[in-house]
Amino acid sequence: MIVKRRTPQSASGEPIVWVFGLALVASLAAIVVLIGMIVVRASESFWVRPIEQLTLADGSQRLGSVVRREVGEGGVSRTLYQVGNRDLGQGSFTWIADREVEGVSRPAQAVMLERSAWGVWFGLPTRIVRLTEGGAEPLGEGDTFWAEFERQHAEAIERERAIEALDEGELADVNREREAWRLRIADVRRRASESGGPAPLPVWAWGVAVLAACGAGAGAVAVRRVGGARAWRLALAVLAFLAVGFVAIEAPWVRRAPSAAEVAAVQAEAEKALATLDAEAASVEARIKAIEAEDAKYRVEVVDPLTGRFAPESLSSPDVPMRVSQVVRVVRANELSFGEKLRVLGARWWEFLSPEPREANSEGGVFPVIFGTVALTILLSLAVVPLGVVAALYLREYAKQGLMTSVLRVAVNNLAGVPSVVYGVFGLGFFCYAVGGYVDTGPAEPLPRLPWWGLVAAMAVIMAAALTLGAGVVRGPGRRGWGAGLCWSAAVVLLIVVVMKTPYFDGFFATRAAEGSPTFGARGILWASLTLALLTLPVVIVATEEAIAAVPRSMREGSYGCGATKWQTVRRVVIPGALPGIMTGAILAMARGAGEVAPLMLVGAAKHASELPVSTDPPYLHLDRTFMHLGYHIFDLGYMSQDLEATRPLVWTTTLLLIAIVLILNSIAIAVRGRLRGRLVSAAV
Amino acid sequence: MTISTPQRGYRVVDAIRAGEAVAPEVHKAARTDDPVLEVHGFSLWYGKSRALHAVDMAVHRGKVTAIVGPSGCGKSTLLRSVNRLNDLVDGVRTDGDILLNGSPVYGSGVDVITLRKRLGMVFQKPNPFPMSIRDNVVYPLVIDGERRRKVLNEAAERALTAAALWDEVKDRLRESALGLSGGQQQRLCIARAVVADPEVLLLDEPCSALDPVATLRIEELIHQIASRYTVLIVTHNMQQATRVSDFTAFMYLGRLVEYGPTAAVFQSPHLPETEDYVTGRFG
Repeated sequence: MIVKRRTPQSASGEPIVWVFGLALVASLAAIVVLIGMIVVRASESFWVRPIEQLTLADGSQRLGSVVRREVGEGGVSRTLYQVGNRDLGQGSFTWIADREVEGVSRPAQAVMLERSAWGVWFGLPTRIVRLTEGGAEPLGEGDTFWAEFERQHAEAIERERAIEALDEGELADVNREREAWRLRIADVRRRASESGGPAPLPVWAWGVAVLAACGAGAGAVAVRRVGGARAWRLALAVLAFLAVGFVAIEAPWVRRAPSAAEVAAVQAEAEKALATLDAEAASVEARIKAIEAEDAKYRVEVVDPLTGRFAPESLSSPDVPMRVSQVVRVVRANELSFGEKLRVLGARWWEFLSPEPREANSEGGVFPVIFGTVALTILLSLAVVPLGVVAALYLREYAKQGLMTSVLRVAVNNLAGVPSVVYGVFGLGFFCYAVGGYVDTGPAEPLPRLPWWGLVAAMAVIMAAALTLGAGVVRGPGRRGWGAGLCWSAAVVLLIVVVMKTPYFDGFFATRAAEGSPTFGARGILWASLTLALLTLPVVIVATEEAIAAVPRSMREGSYGCGATKWQTVRRVVIPGALPGIMTGAILAMARGAGEVAPLMLVGAAKHASELPVSTDPPYLHLDRTFMHLGYHIFDLGYMSQDLEATRPLVWTTTLLLIAIVLILNSIAIAVRGRLRGRLVSAAV
Repeated sequence: MTISTPQRGYRVVDAIRAGEAVAPEVHKAARTDDPVLEVHGFSLWYGKSRALHAVDMAVHRGKVTAIVGPSGCGKSTLLRSVNRLNDLVDGVRTDGDILLNGSPVYGSGVDVITLRKRLGMVFQKPNPFPMSIRDNVVYPLVIDGERRRKVLNEAAERALTAAALWDEVKDRLRESALGLSGGQQQRLCIARAVVADPEVLLLDEPCSALDPVATLRIEELIHQIASRYTVLIVTHNMQQATRVSDFTAFMYLGRLVEYGPTAAVFQSPHLPETEDYVTGRFG
């Protein structure tokens, strides 16, 4: 008789379950700590800290606010103070050993001045003055200081805005027009000096070509009417098509270079326009000067207790107090209530989110950075999703499953493992220099006229052959033969060569490129998004393939049973059924693309881009421009900054922003997917 | 396949098992001068294995014809050969021909897409498409190029009414068809199959994935539809065959064994093997 054993403890799996649970807890903890640390650090960065006045052992006085304390070498406890006042030749952060401090107070009138340049200034405000011919007329002092300051600061901000509006509005328009005229002159000169491609045909040769085109066309029509063989009709049609193309491109009035008289006319017109524009610019500049002169009259004195000096207008004029308009914000840290501190926090966050960065990114806002990140992510999705979906559709639905498709799948999966910086190098070499250079200046070594037209003719013949070979099998179940496939491949290769080597294209921006400032032949947001699209392509292809494979066979059969063709089935049943899965792929691609930094450094991210890739000037979408990116910005703040202590808080806030933006973009995509799912699938199934 | 102990000798089935060609037992009443479908010596191979052996059969116009037989006897294959859905399987080869209202189904000049548009098909599992109820029903018209909203809406109402589904879904035509219950989905598929007025309606075990109540409704529906369409139904449910069909064909191992009016096949079959099969003693 067999005695059954008791079930051992290990068989129940109880210990293993604990290990699993621990692993889950560890993963969750890692995420919570990561997010929590970033949120805490970011939220304390902009919090108002009290200003302390220190009396040191040597009797000197310092103003500053505590950043952090630590026990340094030899057990000496010391404190890092933000003391600002860089104009006085000191570092804006300084360690002070606690034993050197004799007394600490928090003077009510101490302020932290956030300035538009040279960082913060700690001091005691004394008075506001208005400079006149003779000297300085005090406007506010003591009790009246703050009321006067609020008034004057509001006015100063108005003046700043007015100057900015003139500068970025009228002056910028004028400058753009000037640049356009200058380019027009340069362009017409360039075209007059170099012929741009092969020399124009002699008129008699062109006339012969016109006659040949007419002959071929008439021949094609005649053969069609007579009802000749299909091959003949096709051949004559191709010939007529080519001849018409040749005649149109080689027409004498198209190929003619501008004459000296025309160049002179353009130049005269341009000079006239430029003169008007210069006058306009001068008048705008005069208006700006007037506002600036008014602005320069209002000064505020904030005195540093250590040296007794007030905050200067600039390093070169240390004896002139700063202009009121140079004040971004005055924080009366020791007098603020909790609510007011919250308001300052809000104002600082708003300033961080909205405007442009200042002072080598260490101050000001990050709006262009956010904008660049979002624009890049959207562009990359627009590029990668259609490409990936179409590729996956072919791979799964149309390609004959076999060795070829397996090899392709492995290759695609391997692409996902290539280090991202490799894509950056490729993007720089291929997109920026090769493709961009072509767009700017046309082919570097174009073919002469005759061999090029020979290639075009060969391409046309092969395409016609492919059409003929493939025509019989469109509707039936049979497979396209090898012949048609080979012909199409050859035609595509020829098409690429024809486009790459054309003698008739000398670029869209040749004039600027000749001046040494390439438009598309350099780093820019278009090439960056295409590079990231390549990088994320495997993600989309794999996700789409899986989604397509998950569409049940019964659905396809149902569609075929209704008399649908393969394409109709794919378009109306397979793609809608796979859409949620495709969206998942797109979300993963976006998340990966938005967080990439390494390739962006090579193909387009900039430390500072003065103009956004989208603007109100035509053509509105400036895909050639460089852009700022949050990931690169973090790197720049954390490692490339002049003053690491000053930018450290910004690293945290920028990181929080990056996470938030990726989260928001993903949430939008997930919401869209949810809607699609709701439409397509339901709990009842 | 499990075969219970045979209680008597089977002339036809034993011959089939031995691989010999046997003429099927076709009742006189099952012959017709005006067939919708004529199967002429039709054979089909999946790769090397032969699924149909020279089947000959004529389907009566305006009647319901059931095909019964044990699993793997080729009844579904025969049904799917009519609209050439088997073309989608790799390595399929055929011999012989099927005539749909006189025009050949197989042959080099046949346009498969046009052929399938002349037929309607309902599958074992309900297979609504991932789109709205209305779009599901009018799908065959839309892929045929019909774009007029009015025509489509009228066709949808007509087909849904014919499929006894209109009253249940008329207020939610824009909603996803995947939200319907299994029985409703199958009736939707029937509506989709009849919307383009098919010459023959092919039903491939349409109730096998449904509960008894839904099955009953579908059977009633087949009764109603049968007055307007020719129906060819594959089933492995004997009761269903007796309830819905006018003629019954019994198939075994890829061959037609007996074919006749349903009443005759079930009550006085010519062959003992047929009698044993329909009474559940064989197969």
